[in-house]
Amino acid sequence: MKTKQTIAVIGATGNMGSAISRALSNANYRLLLFAKDQAKLQTLVEEIRKSNVVADIESVDCSVNASWEADIILLAVPYQAEKEIAEKIREVANQKVVVSISNPLNTSFNGMVTEPDTSAAEELQKQLPHSKVVKAFNTTFAADFSTPVIDGKQVDSFIAGNHEEALQTASELVVAAGFYPILAGDLSVSRTLENMALLLIQETIKSNYDWLAGWKVLHH
Amino acid sequence: MYDLFFKKFRERIDLSPEEEIQIKSYLIPKKIRRRQYLLQEGDICKHIAFVEKGALREYSIEGGTEHIILFALEGWTVADLFSFLTGEPAVYTIDALEDSELVLISKSSHEELLQTQPKYETYMRLLITDAYIALQKRLTSSISLPIEERYKNFVETYPDIVQRVPQHMIASYMGLSPETLSRVRKKMLNQK
Amino acid sequence: MLEPLIAHFESYLPLKESEMQLLEGRVTQRKIKRRQHILQEGFPCKHYSFVVEGCFKMYGVDQKGNQHNIQFAAENDWIADIGSFHSNKSSKLFIEAIEPSLILQIEQQDLYFLYQSIPKLDRIFKVIIENKFVELQNQVLQNISSTAQERYAAFLEQYPKLALRLPNTQIASYLGITPQYLSEIRNERS
Repeated sequence: MKTKQTIAVIGATGNMGSAISRALSNANYRLLLFAKDQAKLQTLVEEIRKSNVVADIESVDCSVNASWEADIILLAVPYQAEKEIAEKIREVANQKVVVSISNPLNTSFNGMVTEPDTSAAEELQKQLPHSKVVKAFNTTFAADFSTPVIDGKQVDSFIAGNHEEALQTASELVVAAGFYPILAGDLSVSRTLENMALLLIQETIKSNYDWLAGWKVLHH
Repeated sequence: MYDLFFKKFRERIDLSPEEEIQIKSYLIPKKIRRRQYLLQEGDICKHIAFVEKGALREYSIEGGTEHIILFALEGWTVADLFSFLTGEPAVYTIDALEDSELVLISKSSHEELLQTQPKYETYMRLLITDAYIALQKRLTSSISLPIEERYKNFVETYPDIVQRVPQHMIASYMGLSPETLSRVRKKMLNQK
Repeated sequence: MLEPLIAHFESYLPLKESEMQLLEGRVTQRKIKRRQHILQEGFPCKHYSFVVEGCFKMYGVDQKGNQHNIQFAAENDWIADIGSFHSNKSSKLFIEAIEPSLILQIEQQDLYFLYQSIPKLDRIFKVIIENKFVELQNQVLQNISSTAQERYAAFLEQYPKLALRLPNTQIASYLGITPQYLSEIRNERS
């Protein structure tokens, strides 16, 4: 596709937000970055422009405006903040693809704050009933974006969602970021994906992987 | 965000508040900035765009020359209809002449609305009829009227476009060179 | 008498028996002689005409009296100055039979009645007009952008069967060129 799609990255200065923004700035997208800390955001935009002079990237000082202008909205914020942002952007996110990357972990990293019969992505879908919510990038660490091939293997990135178009869109984002896309199933599969993230985080802390780790389905 | 869209709708067909809510749930609010593309030739046209605010143009590029087939200002609808309907690659490019606010309808939403909301179907039939009439008039005048008359017609029919769109684009829309159009305008001014 | 029209509608969507009956009394059949006009400049276009047999041209006349064909319609096609038809304003166009023809005509009130009582017709006419819109848009684009050769090629694509049926003068008028120039183009192509 020649026509560039516009992605709003909300929470662009966070670990994940900046990693995703950097990765996607090398692909055929126009990026609108939003973060509360505008000074930090400015620094990030300049940094990305410096490393890639043709990057189509801009900072925006309002999450609603960024989402209004976007075709795809990527919420790179923690679970609690995700709910808050979703309230604000509900109207301008109508019928758009909204990517949820959050993992609703509790503060001791040993469980979820969501009930077992739901997930962060499903809760977001309830909040945004006319948007196309997809779960993606929640099983990949920020460091993986600069090193998507670990130990000779390309890290898998799992995607879950209910809308064909949205899954396709998310899959293109995953490929653009350098990962191998796996369409895991409908949005309820997010429960599994969020728990996979929890397990990976626990393993990473325990075994001291230095946050460069990922999931890979091995098969022949 | 959808004010003009529903105002235009209501001018043709009554809508209950429930029907408006139902239709609204399918609409995509989208801003686009000047000079940005909504659609590039060769891609598949996936949306119909209604202009809430601003101005867009639709054109084909042949041998490096742009031929403008449509200007879409507030209240107009723009798409590469053939591509939208058939899924074939678009022959037209659509870009923004001003910062604009659009209401987009995706192909899947369009089809669902046609199935579930008879008033939407009727409205779409009216819109395409209007667009067809405008084209028929344009072709008639371009074939049978002298250039001065055509330009006069254009100015009378679309005073806003004349105000907001550069002359060389109007020349392209009329199939004239910018020089010819400028000569015609000068002549018309002198006559006044 | 309505079979060709019903078959045409049913090529888009099947109609119920009751819907077919509604068409009766709303559609008039007419035989048209060669060179006879069904629309004259200065009068409103009263009918949407469906061609069962024969062939028509729609044209405008410029200040010098030259005819400019803007559209042809043969079997299973519609012809009308749609703007005038819906607005009741007087038309700037003529519609004339090129061959002895048989047509089915619908008046404005009858069409509106049919839209109301057969919702399917909304869909059918939406599709018919969409297709005609795309054709007309191509024609407008050709008109502002192309050489006579390209316009002739586009004409052949749009009206493949008519190229053999229509007199040279009519095609030349549609393309906005002289009949002599059209013959040259045809010779170049063959």
